[in-house]
Amino acid sequence: MFIEIKNAKKQYGTGEAAVFALAGVDLTLDKGKIYVILGPSGSGKSTLLNMIGGLDSLDSGDLIVDGKNIASASKKELLQYRLEDVGFIFQFYNLIPDLNVEENIQVVSEISPKPLDIDEVLKALEIEQYRKRFPKELSGGQQQRVAIGRAMIKNPKLLLCDELTGALDTKSSYAVLKFVEKMNQIYGTTIIIITHNEAIADMADCIIRFKDGNVASKVDNDNKCPAEKLNL
Amino acid sequence: MKLNKRYPRSIRSYLSFYVSASVLTMVTLLMFFLFYTSGTSVKKYADDFARRNSRQDAQFETEMVIPDEALKSLASKYDAVFEKEYSVNFEEPDSKHSRIFKENKQIDLCELTAGSRPTNENEVMISLGYAEEHSIEVGDRIFAGQKERTVTGFFLRPDYLFMVENDTDTYKNVEDFFLAVLDEKTFNSSFEEPNVMYKVIYNDSSRENELRKEINSIYTTLSYLSSDANGRINYVYQEADTYIIMAWLLLITLPIIAVVLICIIISRKIIKEQKIIGTLSALGYKPRTIMLHYSIMAVIPGLIGGVLMSLVSLFIADWFGEFATASFEPIKPVFKVPAAIMIAGIIIPTVIYFIAAMLVTRKILKNNTVSLLSGSVGTKSASKKIFTKSQMKVRTRFALRSVIGNPGRSFVIFLGIFLGSAIICFGMVYSDSMKSLADDPQPKIGSYKYRYYLSDFREGVYSDNTDVLINSSFESESGSIVNVIGADKDCKRLNLTEKSTNKTADLSEGWYISNLAAVMFDVDKGDEIKLKNSATLEEKTIKISGIIKNDYEIYVISTRENASKVTGIDADYYDCILSDESISFENGEVSLILTDKSFKKQMDIVYDESTTNRITIILLGVVICIASIYVAINMMINEQAANISMLKVLGYKRKYIDTMVLRGNHILLIPGIVLGILGGVGIMKLFSVLLVEVLELILPVELTLKTVLFTIAVTCICYFGSLLILRRRVDNIDMIESLKDNRE
Repeated sequence: MFIEIKNAKKQYGTGEAAVFALAGVDLTLDKGKIYVILGPSGSGKSTLLNMIGGLDSLDSGDLIVDGKNIASASKKELLQYRLEDVGFIFQFYNLIPDLNVEENIQVVSEISPKPLDIDEVLKALEIEQYRKRFPKELSGGQQQRVAIGRAMIKNPKLLLCDELTGALDTKSSYAVLKFVEKMNQIYGTTIIIITHNEAIADMADCIIRFKDGNVASKVDNDNKCPAEKLNL
Repeated sequence: MKLNKRYPRSIRSYLSFYVSASVLTMVTLLMFFLFYTSGTSVKKYADDFARRNSRQDAQFETEMVIPDEALKSLASKYDAVFEKEYSVNFEEPDSKHSRIFKENKQIDLCELTAGSRPTNENEVMISLGYAEEHSIEVGDRIFAGQKERTVTGFFLRPDYLFMVENDTDTYKNVEDFFLAVLDEKTFNSSFEEPNVMYKVIYNDSSRENELRKEINSIYTTLSYLSSDANGRINYVYQEADTYIIMAWLLLITLPIIAVVLICIIISRKIIKEQKIIGTLSALGYKPRTIMLHYSIMAVIPGLIGGVLMSLVSLFIADWFGEFATASFEPIKPVFKVPAAIMIAGIIIPTVIYFIAAMLVTRKILKNNTVSLLSGSVGTKSASKKIFTKSQMKVRTRFALRSVIGNPGRSFVIFLGIFLGSAIICFGMVYSDSMKSLADDPQPKIGSYKYRYYLSDFREGVYSDNTDVLINSSFESESGSIVNVIGADKDCKRLNLTEKSTNKTADLSEGWYISNLAAVMFDVDKGDEIKLKNSATLEEKTIKISGIIKNDYEIYVISTRENASKVTGIDADYYDCILSDESISFENGEVSLILTDKSFKKQMDIVYDESTTNRITIILLGVVICIASIYVAINMMINEQAANISMLKVLGYKRKYIDTMVLRGNHILLIPGIVLGILGGVGIMKLFSVLLVEVLELILPVELTLKTVLFTIAVTCICYFGSLLILRRRVDNIDMIESLKDNRE
């Protein structure tokens, strides 16, 4: 068991305006697998991702990642956790506009304790030729590949993807998902993908559905198919 | 309109911006207001006081007494008012110097401030400044006219608001010198031969010269001093003008730069709001409504700053104004900020912010709505490709690139540093200039220790250890008093170093002018200058052969022979002695003695009296420095919020984030401070030029190492202090919220 979440609760707002983003979530995830979390807006899936990534903290409950309880970690420990163990990919890439492709990846490799070889990552993501370009000079798909490279360069144990194809066209979406899958295959990274797109669930080892701040279902995907064969 | 609910929310969201921008607006305007209010209030008081007490237009002495009937006839003929003023000078048994008057009836009247007028020989009323200095109360006994009398009251006189014993003194003396008035009967019976001074008010000033010529032709004028050239009268106006000049100088520098700085920040904030502008546009809001909405948001710091400034100035105007009156008799002007200026202070920055916001919003609205919704308007930067081949660490490259690649943002931070260091430097250079003026000034004008002005002319030489001069008072075309000096070619005790050659001037080559006079009258080597004899009104034109390094005195100088041709005084005669040692004279032989110590004391007082101004400028400079840097860095952090969030997500420690986001701006400290120091010196130079005629002094503009180091140190402390405060903002940036906003 790589991630164990026990009775995780998170509330935003107070009184009548209170919203229970996580209403006592219990969940376990295994190492090296691809998980796809589906659910309507406001179901709590992004909140869960933020908690697993150490961006936000639970009101109560436990969140244990690779033996460490993130829920009770200090700010400093969370910082170290994000630096060493977690890679993020966002819907809108969040690349640093003042840095070119190579630098956007180097910005992580420079502070990472065990970074991968940047040329290898650029090559794997097929963006070597764009290494001196700036984000504004790239398409959405290319930018998202850079974001994958930036997330993977630290060789994280966990890759968290929040609607990573939400802003892409179909062709780019295939390419991006293919590279995410490739990262899982090459580096054995545990991957959690949050999406509204049901079709992406087919590439998962396990499909989790969220509803009203809790897990509605968790099903192993026996018919897992490669990313390039998804029906996007 | 629901949109209006954004105003309070905007204040809450950008509280630090609104606070710092309001403070910056307030402080920069406050400096103008304090100086302006002090200057205009003192001037108004002096004018009102002069009107109330019939201040003279001029005073003169004649060789022959003008009979009362003749005065009446002159008054009628020239539409003027005359007063024959009688006075006697005493050294009292307690070593104090008194000037006892018979009270005037028409000109330069005594305004009683407490008590009553004297009615018998045992009573006296005295000048208020001396009474306050020595805590004398009505009913106390003092020596006046070498007789102990009871003080019945205190008074102020319009021709003695600046209490100097001698016309040529430039510092007040209320410690050892006072005016006293006896009742008419007592005065008449006590003093057989009092000094007589004629006071005049011209109802028809066009006939002044005609009148003076007639008086000189019949009674021979010995001296003539118009109120404009009378230090006891005009120093009040000079001081007031100094404050007013300082106010305008500060207005055209600080608030303008501060307003530009805030306008740029407001513009950048509005550009950041382009998605909301695009949304409003897409929702069908009219461009005018959107422009108005953002313009109203922008006026908040102008309104708050203006209102705060008005309130603060109401509270401290009196306190500050008191320093403007410290040199004078205890006058009590009402330091009231003029309502029109106060309203202008609130409205002008507000309107400027309003217009700036409106123009920026209008410009943004010219883009198509899709571009606005995508947030791509105004995001191009041509300079981002720098350092791509550099081997520097990425975080260093990022830091440098964010400074160089965002010229607008960097300019704002530069402007903040520049503004702060310029005002601090100005305060320091002003302080240094005043100190330089006061530091050992005597060698700059001559090596003598004593300068005696004789009551009558003497012939030949005085002694080996002296130089003798012809010294005659003339008027320039502008009415300023100019001394025409005749000296021996080998005069050693005057500093006659020529400005252009740095060598001692050869007086036999013609006329030389002091540098102060040259600057005041805009005269250079080879130019001609017209001078008018104060007594005869005869005009002479002299050609200037060179300029003497002397920033303290207004004179032209040549050989005694040349001076004789201009003044009409025999070249063998002299009326001024420069001596290395003290000389004993019989009573009445000397009309005035100046010593190196008295000159130094004058300069020390000029320095001391500028202390409040200097400290105020430096202190307000520090506040401006902090506010301007804070507002600029705050803007930069807001603009970098998304990058800071991403760096946090990536696991960057605070010190690395500081390196990337904040520390790159350190390089702006160098040009900001260097240009700020130059700007401060520039402001001081302008101030010095503007004050030449007002102070009749050239303030030396000297930049010392101490000033440079102080400016660097204070600016750096303000800069790093602001960064320290703002680091909390970096810590408080919410990763999730900021990343949500980063929809590119």
